[in-house]
This record gives sequence, C-alpha cells and structure tokens, in this order.
Amino acid sequence: MTDANRVPSPMDRVWDFFTSVKLAIVTLIVIAVASIFGTVVEQNQPPEKYHQVYEDWAVALMDRINLFDMYHAWWFLLLLVLFTVNLTCCTLDRFPKVLKIVRNPRTKLDENLEKTLSLADRWKRKGALADWSAKYVEGLSSAFAKPRVTEEGGEVHLYAETGVASRFGVYVTHLSIIIIFLGAILGNLLGFKGYVNIPEGESVSQVPVRGGARVQDLGFTVLCNSFRVETYPSGQPKAYISDLSILEGGREVLRKKDVVVNDPLQYKGIWFYQSSYGQAGGARARLTVARPDGTPAGTLSLPPGEPVKIEGYGIVRGMNYDQNHEGHGPALQVAVEKPGQPQATFWLFQGRGDLDRLRKDSLSFSFEGLNAKLYTGLQVAKDPGVNIVWVGCALMVIGIIMAFFLSHQRVWVRLAQGQDGRVEVVLAGSASRNRLAFEKKFERIQTGVKAVGQ
Amino acid sequence: MSNVILFNLTTVLFGVASALYLGALYAKNEKIAGFGTWACVLAAFVSTAALGLRWYESYQMGIGRIPVTNLYESLVFFAWAVNLFYLVVERKYGSRTFGAFVMPIAFFTMLFAIKNDSSIQPLVPALQSYWLHAHVITCFVGYAAFAVSAGAAVMYLMKARQEEAKISEGVTGLLPACRTLDDLVYRSIIWGFPFLTAGIITGAAWANYAWGTYWSWDPKETWSLIVWLVYAAFLHARITRGWHGKRAAVLSIVGFLATIMCYLGVNLVLSGLHSYGGS
Repeated sequence: MTDANRVPSPMDRVWDFFTSVKLAIVTLIVIAVASIFGTVVEQNQPPEKYHQVYEDWAVALMDRINLFDMYHAWWFLLLLVLFTVNLTCCTLDRFPKVLKIVRNPRTKLDENLEKTLSLADRWKRKGALADWSAKYVEGLSSAFAKPRVTEEGGEVHLYAETGVASRFGVYVTHLSIIIIFLGAILGNLLGFKGYVNIPEGESVSQVPVRGGARVQDLGFTVLCNSFRVETYPSGQPKAYISDLSILEGGREVLRKKDVVVNDPLQYKGIWFYQSSYGQAGGARARLTVARPDGTPAGTLSLPPGEPVKIEGYGIVRGMNYDQNHEGHGPALQVAVEKPGQPQATFWLFQGRGDLDRLRKDSLSFSFEGLNAKLYTGLQVAKDPGVNIVWVGCALMVIGIIMAFFLSHQRVWVRLAQGQDGRVEVVLAGSASRNRLAFEKKFERIQTGVKAVGQ
Repeated sequence: MSNVILFNLTTVLFGVASALYLGALYAKNEKIAGFGTWACVLAAFVSTAALGLRWYESYQMGIGRIPVTNLYESLVFFAWAVNLFYLVVERKYGSRTFGAFVMPIAFFTMLFAIKNDSSIQPLVPALQSYWLHAHVITCFVGYAAFAVSAGAAVMYLMKARQEEAKISEGVTGLLPACRTLDDLVYRSIIWGFPFLTAGIITGAAWANYAWGTYWSWDPKETWSLIVWLVYAAFLHARITRGWHGKRAAVLSIVGFLATIMCYLGVNLVLSGLHSYGGS
C-alpha cells in the first residue's frame, strides 16, 4: 500500500502489479485460452503424424513455439509461475489485513463506520442507558449472536459477529493451489511413470520410463502368473485380470490374483495398474499324459515346434494345429522321437484321449486345447507427491465452501444519552458476502432487537 | 424399455413447460407460467422415476450399475439436474420468468438425448469404479448450476440494455431487476463452482487409481480446467471494480459455452479418454 501523498516507488509499482486482482483475472483467462491449443493440436505425437495433418511451414512454426508439448513449454510454465506469484502476492498483501480485522474487530460504531454501513436503523427509548444496554445485549444475543460490550465516553457499543471463518476461505483456497503445485513438483522430481508388458509366467525387475530412454530399477521383481479376459454374455469385455506376484530375493512376498482396471497392486510405493494386454509369442498346446491303464501321468505344455523331453520316454514336439482335421474337429499333430526309433507323427483330436490309447504306447496323450500365451500391459507409477496433492484438493474444497457459504456478518448497536433525555439507539450491520440475504436477516434482527422491552 | 418411455414423457413435459414459460412472458400472464411450474414439478417426478427405473432395469439385466455411464444417460441426468436446480431457484426467488430462459436448455438436452442410443449397456472395465458415482454426479450438478447461471446472465444482459435505454415496456419489462439477476448469476455459480471443483478432483483421484496419473492434460481434463478457470475469473471479476455487472454476465455465458465444449465438444470433436461420445 502506498500513501496517497507519496509518489509510488518502482518497487511499489511492481508490488501493486503483482497484488492486483485484475492481473489475476487476466492471467486466468490467458491460461484458459492458451490451454485450448493443446486440446486442438494432439500432444506428443511422432513428427510424421504432424506432417500428415499440417503444412511443413506450420509444423516448423508450431514446433518452434512448443505447441506439440505445450503444457510443458517454457511459456506455459511461465504463465503458471506468473499465476502463482500473483496468487502469493495477493495473499501476502491481504492476509495480514484480514487477520488484523479478525483479531481487532471494530467493536465501536463510530460516525465514520456508521457512514459506510447501508443497513442501519435509529430510534429513541425513554429510560436509563444502562437498562437499555442490558436489554439490547440480551435482544441481540437471541436475534443474532452474543455481543461484546464497550463503554466509552458515555456511550455503550455492542458488537456481535458470525462466520468469521469466511474471511479465511479465500486464503485456504489460494494456499491449497500452492500445495497442489508443490505436490506435483515433488512427484515430478522424485517419482516416475513407466509402462511394461509382462508375458504370462515371466517377470521383470526394471521398467522403461515414459517419454525417455531411462530404465527404472524397481528394487524387486514382478511376476505375471497369468492373465485373462472375462466377457459379458454379449461378448463385450467385462474384466481384464492379471495375477501378479512380487518377488524379493527369489521369494514371493506379495500376491494379488485379481489386479484389474480400477484396482491396482501397490508395493513399496510403486503402483501397478492394469492397462492393456496382448498375445505373447505363439500359442501352446495343452496335453494330459496317461499310462496304458488310464492313470494320469502329468501334463505337457508344447510350444510350437519346440522339443519337450519326457524322462524315460522320449521327445515330444507339437507340429501342426488344425481347427477341423478331416472334419472331426480341432486336432494337434505331434511328433514323438524315442531313442533308437524312427520319429512317429500322428494327430490327436481334442478331448479324445481314448483314441490315442489305441496306439498301445507306454504313454498316451490327450490334447486338451490351445493355450494362447498372453502378456499383461501395466502402467507403473511412483508418485511421492500425490498425497500432498490430495491434501491440497481437500483444502481447496474446504476453502471454497468457507469462502462462499459462510458470510462474515457483523452487527453493531450504539446507545447514547440524547439531548432530550431519551436514549438514542443506532443499529447497523454488514455482511462480507451475500448481502441480499443479509438484508432480510438484518430486518429480522431489527425487529427482534427493537421488540425488546416494548 | 419402460424407462425410455418415461424419459420421452419427460421430454414432452420439458417442452410444454418451456412453451408455457415463454408464452407467459409474451402474453404477460403470470397464470400461464404457473402451469409451467406444474409441468416442471411433474417432469421432476417422472424423470426421477425414470432414472430409478433405469437403474432397476440394469439390475434386472444382471449388469446393475448407476444410470450415468454413457452419452444418453449423462444427458438425461443433466436435464434432470437442471430441472431440479431451476425449481429450487424459482421457489427461492419467487419469480417464474427464469423458466423461459432455463427450461429450454433442459428441453433441448432431452431432444439431443433422444437422438442417441438409449439401450442399457454393461460397464466396460475402465468405468467399473465407485469413483464413477462421485465423479459424474458432482460434475453434472455443477453443469446444471452453470446452465441456470447462463440463463440468468442472458436475462441480465437483456435487462441491463433495457435499463440503460430506460424503457420498461416489452418482454424485458417483466424480467426481475438487474440486481436480482446479477445475484442469481453469481449464486448459481457459487453452487456450481465447488461441485465442478469436486468433480475435477474426483476425476483426478479416479484417474490416479485407474492409470497412476491424476493429471495428464487429456483434452477432457484440460477443458474442465478451462471451465474452472473461466468461473474462477468470474468470481474474481465480481469483486473488482469495472469487471462486475455486464462483464461478469458475459463470463458466465462464456463459462457455460466452455462447459458445453467440455461436456460434448471434447467427445464429438476431439479425441480423448472419455468414451461416451465416441461412437
């Protein structure tokens, strides 16, 4: 603040600039308008894509002003800095004044104050000043709030207020924005975001970080036990489900069998979010093995074309898959090599283990179906600032409610001995917001107070 | 499905209410507007029943979920909220002239809804979250408040022009005083703003729980921020000399246009994470 009779120094002018609400309005609108560009121009796409959409000169120009990653461009961040500085300065400028008003309220209704209050009523009563002041203390208490009483120079002043907290709503809201920014900065500095595909049965202990060549060490291992998709009867996807384990030193320390979208896995501050899936490599054939008497002897999982050894028997290889072999349904062609014998190839019809027993071998196989090996795609995130952001968000809602739904309402009563021996009474009030509603409330207070002792 | 029949009936009632309110304004007949109120009250019951029935029918189909998950449902929910918000305002301000400026918004929203697929579809995995309820409801209550505010802002600008020209005839003569309109513009926004704020926050919390990022400058997120910034500018304009009155009213209208862009434009024009307008 500058005195009226002093020429403002350059420093004052800078301060006035940064503490002005007009700057806040302009900054808010400029950020809003600037933000539109990034929603029209798709962000962070490969250059080829931009060249398909725009002329070369336009791409060059847009690239120059960082329009392809505009929310991280220096000029956009500068706008946010300006916004924050403005917010901080406004708060530093006004908060002490508000604190002063709240701590040292004007408890006396002097003439200067009276002139500024549009809601006022004046009347006279016969009787003693002390009697009437006692009556009006009670009247104001029941019509509004319990007043403080100040006696000075033969006058009695009553002062009552409600909703003081509303004065702080603005500052709680402003502070909350700064807290959110701090949380966001902290998360950017100390956290990471990555994405990883893990095929079923495989594990990772490192994750490629998004938007960079860096790889993040997790400090533990994530194993994908399995992945599956559930569908509604209509065929629409119902759930994408990953069964994940956390391993430390080769030992399982945590397992979550149903990591789904909207229900992530968390370990040591690192979160894994179900995000995508796909086919990992070729499909595997599932076989059950039985002895000639029909007793089960285990299962086999055959990758395409690769030999799988069975101790004391030989080598089994999955050769071909036919969805409808010779019109008898799905079948798998397998090749069996036994030591010292020529390779034998034959077809196994799905679910018909009884047919293979006719081969009269020491082991018979039953083809149970193909297992497509899938991978799960996981978003991986560590954000140590996120809880600070939530604190900021909670404060923001509280601050806004305080600011808009509370009103600092003040009511004064002044009693003085008049020339004619009667007691002159002045009742006045003001509200920090929602004055229209307060006018109605003031009328009720007026009626309530005036009725006392009548 | 019977819920759709009830929603169609709601549309008719909104249309009737709009016509009655507009008719009352031009005929300068308060009685006609009274019938408009009855149409609104009836529509409130019918649309609430329709929402409840739709919810129930989704359980009958074995895919029970809240009826706010696609474009059709969000539109009818928005219209439902506008109507309720309007009825509260009408009662509180004791004036029926607002109806002519607010109810057509609900009516056209329903007309647009009817043009969209109204079948009950199961929830895709991304939408299966309790955050859905909090996020959608807070957003749409906010949007409804902004719609009412914009309606009042249009009235304010009409009335302000008339007051400047010192004419008291014509349709605008029936409008409430500038001061009342300005108050309604503002009060609707101070209801809408915390709801929008809560809507953005619940959206961020949900995004963080689903994807691990509470803010990714996705077009929908960005447009919700734009809406928030415009109303933040409005709230600051109100306390600044030379910015309240007309400029604040214009900001309220701009804010509602940004809201429409955020709600519909992003899905219909731009690409992003919110699926309901995608087809």
